Amino acid sequence: MNLRFSLLASLFLALAACTEKQAKVDFNTQIKPIINKRCITCHGGVKRNADFSLLFREDALDTAESEKLPIIPGDPDNSELIRRLQLTDPEERMPYKEQPLAKEEIDLLRKWIKEGAPWGRHWAYRPVVNPELPEQPSFLSGFWPTSSQEGNEIDLFVNAKLKELDWEANDPAEPAVRLRRAYMDIIGLPPTREEATAFLNDPTRENYEKIVDQLLASPRFGEKWASWWLDMARYADTKGYERDVYRNLWRYRDYVIRAFNSDMPFDQFTIEQLAGDLLPHPTEDQFIATGFHRNTMNNDEGGTEDEEFRVAAVIDRVNTTMEVWQSTTFGCVQCHSHPYDPFRHEEYYKVMAFFNNSRDEDTEGEHPNLRFYEEKDQQKVNELLNWMSQQRGASSHDKVEKFVRLTEPKYHPHVFDQFVNGELIDTKWLGIRSGGSARIRGIDLTGKSFMLFHYRTSDTGGTLQVRKDDLKGEVIVNMQLDSTRRRKTIAIPIKSVQGSHDLYFVFSNPRIHPDKVVADVEWIAFQEDVFNDPAQFQRYLELLNAKVDNTPVMVENDSSQKRPTFVFERGNWLVHGKEEKPAVPAYLNPIPAGAPLNRLGFAQWLMSQDNPLTARTVVNRVWEQIFGSGLVETLEDFGTQGATPSHPALLDWLSSQLMNEYKWSLKRLIKQMVMSETYGRDSHATPEQREKDPVNKWLARGPSFRLTGEQLRDQALAVSGLLSDKMYGKSVMPFQPEGVWQTVYSDEKWTLSSGEDRHRRSVYTFQKRTSPYPSMITFDGSSREVCQVRRIRTNTPLQSLLTLNDPVYLEAAGALAEKMIASSASVDDQIRDGYRRLMFMDIREDKLKALRKLYDSSLAAFVKDQPGRKGVELQAMQLVASALFNLDEVIVKQ
Amino acid sequence: MDPIGKYHLQSITRRHFLWETAAGIGGAAFGSLLGGCSHQRNPIQMALDPMAARAPHFPAKAKSVIYLHMAGAPSQLELFDYKPVLEKLHGQPCPPSFLEGKKFAFIRGVPKMLGPQATFRQRGQSGAWISDHLPHLASIADEISFVKCVATDQFNHGPAQLYVHTGVPRLGRPSIGSWVTYGLGTENSDLPGFVVLTSGGKTPDAGKSVWGSGFLPSVYQGVQCRTQGEPVLYLNDPEGVSREMKKHVVDAISEVNYKHFEESGDPETLTRIHQYELAYRMQISVPEVMNINDEPAAMHELYGTQPGKSSYANNCLLARKLVEKGVRFVQLFDWGWDSHGTDEGNAIDIGFRNKCREIDRATTALILDLKQRGLLDETLVVWGGEFGRTPMQENREGKTMPFLGRDHHVENFTVWMAGGGIKKGVTYGETDEIGYYPVSGKVSVHDLQATILNQLGFDHEKLTYEFQGRPFRLTDVAGKVIKEIVT
Repeated sequence: MNLRFSLLASLFLALAACTEKQAKVDFNTQIKPIINKRCITCHGGVKRNADFSLLFREDALDTAESEKLPIIPGDPDNSELIRRLQLTDPEERMPYKEQPLAKEEIDLLRKWIKEGAPWGRHWAYRPVVNPELPEQPSFLSGFWPTSSQEGNEIDLFVNAKLKELDWEANDPAEPAVRLRRAYMDIIGLPPTREEATAFLNDPTRENYEKIVDQLLASPRFGEKWASWWLDMARYADTKGYERDVYRNLWRYRDYVIRAFNSDMPFDQFTIEQLAGDLLPHPTEDQFIATGFHRNTMNNDEGGTEDEEFRVAAVIDRVNTTMEVWQSTTFGCVQCHSHPYDPFRHEEYYKVMAFFNNSRDEDTEGEHPNLRFYEEKDQQKVNELLNWMSQQRGASSHDKVEKFVRLTEPKYHPHVFDQFVNGELIDTKWLGIRSGGSARIRGIDLTGKSFMLFHYRTSDTGGTLQVRKDDLKGEVIVNMQLDSTRRRKTIAIPIKSVQGSHDLYFVFSNPRIHPDKVVADVEWIAFQEDVFNDPAQFQRYLELLNAKVDNTPVMVENDSSQKRPTFVFERGNWLVHGKEEKPAVPAYLNPIPAGAPLNRLGFAQWLMSQDNPLTARTVVNRVWEQIFGSGLVETLEDFGTQGATPSHPALLDWLSSQLMNEYKWSLKRLIKQMVMSETYGRDSHATPEQREKDPVNKWLARGPSFRLTGEQLRDQALAVSGLLSDKMYGKSVMPFQPEGVWQTVYSDEKWTLSSGEDRHRRSVYTFQKRTSPYPSMITFDGSSREVCQVRRIRTNTPLQSLLTLNDPVYLEAAGALAEKMIASSASVDDQIRDGYRRLMFMDIREDKLKALRKLYDSSLAAFVKDQPGRKGVELQAMQLVASALFNLDEVIVKQ
Repeated sequence: MDPIGKYHLQSITRRHFLWETAAGIGGAAFGSLLGGCSHQRNPIQMALDPMAARAPHFPAKAKSVIYLHMAGAPSQLELFDYKPVLEKLHGQPCPPSFLEGKKFAFIRGVPKMLGPQATFRQRGQSGAWISDHLPHLASIADEISFVKCVATDQFNHGPAQLYVHTGVPRLGRPSIGSWVTYGLGTENSDLPGFVVLTSGGKTPDAGKSVWGSGFLPSVYQGVQCRTQGEPVLYLNDPEGVSREMKKHVVDAISEVNYKHFEESGDPETLTRIHQYELAYRMQISVPEVMNINDEPAAMHELYGTQPGKSSYANNCLLARKLVEKGVRFVQLFDWGWDSHGTDEGNAIDIGFRNKCREIDRATTALILDLKQRGLLDETLVVWGGEFGRTPMQENREGKTMPFLGRDHHVENFTVWMAGGGIKKGVTYGETDEIGYYPVSGKVSVHDLQATILNQLGFDHEKLTYEFQGRPFRLTDVAGKVIKEIVT
């Protein structure tokens, strides 16, 4: 309703302006809203009824099915569009079977066509320009920027708008409120009492700034902002789908925390996550960063087709990338041209072509994985690689390094076909019975001298023959398969063969039951002997069999495994249309000169200064984290169906600063926001203010909204002194009620962590997609199944039950009550102390009275229930502390 | 005057104030609820009281739904789809025409045909075929409409369950119960609008996403009520805290919050006061409705319930109690219907029979009990799985299996419905003589969803929610009401 209302309002304002000034018609604010509302459903990207579409100018000017010209620039009288809008016959008049357009609307369209029917660019697709700062409003003149007392450039934009509306801004909030706000927003935790006291004794702007700088430098900063990013990255500790078992991707979460803490520039942060593997000689961290897109779900259910879910993962990567960096609802274009925005159906697949050549193929082992060796083995890796680079040169070194780190490139069993007496076991592993065979197609054997074979069997006596070109063809491999204890990689010599061939793998073992498979095979790889040294080769094989820890990463296909990308007709992955090569959407900035046509080039394109969407998107998302609502309310959609910016010049100014002045530093962006006077305003609203601006769009008041599940839990742990400051590592399992996890086909269990791991910050809590942690999901946390850019803040009774009765909160209330009791002999002072620990100010006497009443009645009840028992005071105070955790002012950042 | 009572009095002014102005930030988010049904849904009202009862698009036949989902997919060939020809073909190799171009979850090579492992009879006036596995249900055949040719395109449990419950075989969409409570709200504000009950020891394969709210506000997600332990997470007060003490706690919170509201003027604060009061009431109302100890012996006899246990029968009785109290959507999941024949427990002639025994009496009792209370007319009962089972015997990895079993089958499976404006005694749709393909009356999962929404008074194409820039609906881009089975 807001949107429609504002469209109408802007139309009305525009009309008024137009008649007054006789200005030219503006496509974006005057024409596009009419088209979107009245025309585009039938004449747009989804439907092109009568072969007429208003999405692109060239389409709209082109002859329609009627062979008439819908729009003739400069000539409204002969434009079919105008004629059809004015007819009386309901069969012919447009919009078909709907209310006719208002006369004013038709006049506007006429005038626009008369003026040449120019197609405007929607605000979000125009380049970011650095706007002039608004003039200092006269009532503030001399106040800023000469003085450093309050505020900064943000306030110039906000105040100019308020002045235009003739509204007064609220006064600054109490120092205690501003302090808590800054702590909660920057590090997600309240200040300690000492920190609070130090500031409140001398709450100058200088001291405030000092605190802001300290908070931005705190290791807690990354932990807070990681939660924001991980919702978008859809990070979880499980794979999703039916089995939803463990995924070892916590190093990616730690990467995000470290990146935020070190204020890694956002362009580098982007490039490493989207294409770290494609950077020259990627570091371990750059590989781990690519976990961003390994957060897609992986389907392990028996019988599922790996290719189907590989494609689903690639589609998710395209949609997520466009949503996270471009605020663009690109998912629409998967099935048809965008209904409202200037993206064509095939462009989806051009973008997909950037993402369609990573090695991952929905395998159970989540290949490719980055391997983490134990220390002694890492030593051997280093020695081997040193030897390689000294003795064999860079190219051989790189091949060995890639395989030792990533075991890539390799082939998975699902590429086999023509199974005889065998199959893919559980659609995962190659399992062929004695006498059976399977085929792999088109393997280039030129220069290859051995095959790596990763398998398992409990039987002795098995053999593998590989025959060339057909089942009876030349034997190029003949190998005994020894029994293995666990999965094992062996190297099998191959006869020297030139060119590409289909290979037939024939297994036999006359000693085993005919129902049993000879071996189960997880992967194979064909390699050349770059060692030419048996000892080094032996070391290589040992390392491939070493015990390692793994984390999924991105690795690009080499030329032998390149996949073509096709348009999926109506989005169906089985119905292929035309082949597409990588290209960025034509309507946006071109890909930078010299950028490669792969994920790296795509990431460079996103971060190019010419990309109109990236900086605006980042500014808007960070703004929403701090102010509660974006400058563009629809965080997920900057398209023509999204909201328009409330302060377009401010959005552009901040975007320009982010790129040019802050060099993509998010800490500087955040600092700019929290140092503004706008941010520091009192959030209270009179009924009149609320009536005029219910959602605080014009920022006359300070931000106030409910804390997240993470902030609430962390706050309770921090204030009660329970919070552990241990960072990083595997996800932890704090208390969770029995029976929340009931997973099928898996014996994984929620095992309560021990010691301080029960009280770690919420960002370290184990995230299971099909069974999210209750105290996060109840407060609108993401289940992390798909990318989520905005948490809608609900207010439900289940939240009340949680903060009242969750043992985590009860334990915290107990610990807080002890501190309260220790603080003074007077009960009133004890309650004052508890309130102050949470709110950093004195409790109002009438509120104190209410809590004191609770204490007295609880104490009386406990005494009655447990006559003579000691410690009833603590029990009563625990209820008071529990009530404190449930106060609106504690749950809300005000 | 006690503080909670005071706020009730004040609520008149409060509502007036809020209606006149607008909601807080939540209201802006709810603005997108306007989607395709702006004629009804006021975003401010939705934000302030998202569970308030609302009218659907047109007069409804049903007020509530009880959806009985047999997770794992029960065999239609042993229950409702009688195929004498299949009996004759028992043990013969499957003709290649049925296998060409087909994919199965586990069948490999050429499997053998498996005749019905049950005795069938026609039942009641309608003459519906029901096997002896379900003797109780057979006695009420004339209350039920059978849809014999529901087709899906997902042959794995997780995606197929998501497809049935969210309209899309991937994670991330709202479930049908969420759509219904989003559309209708609830009639009892002391209880959740959408309740989930599970039996069989496991949650469904697709996990909690089958009752998740997807992109709808989380207030619409299903609330899992457990029959052992706390019925709702965190419902129980901590040890040593009496109801009276809890009341003092909630009173104190509300009192302080109200004083805070006087300063801040934030309507979200009033909503929060309201939610704490509701939470307090739920602490009584939920355990009350979840307690079956005090049901008369005749009730326990009818359903076969045993208080204190977690069972399908208990869940059926609870489902009746919940809809009686005004809960909008009750979703039952019973796990253990995946009859592959890999062990005795999932053998089609052993484990499967036992599962049938477990549900037969209680399912029948549920229909009879609803009927005797006059609730069946306004309660839609749906029974089904996520797909069907093959007429061939499973031969996992090309081997002979130790027990008789059937693989997953997507072409047709049987779903039945009763009450809530569904015709009585209709059998709609027919499969071929071995039950492999539909011959007539093929319907899709989306058709089923459209029909359920239709009974509740919704045009399934108009119950939409704006997300990522476009309106979404339960039935994706498809769905037709199955007119043949509705009155």
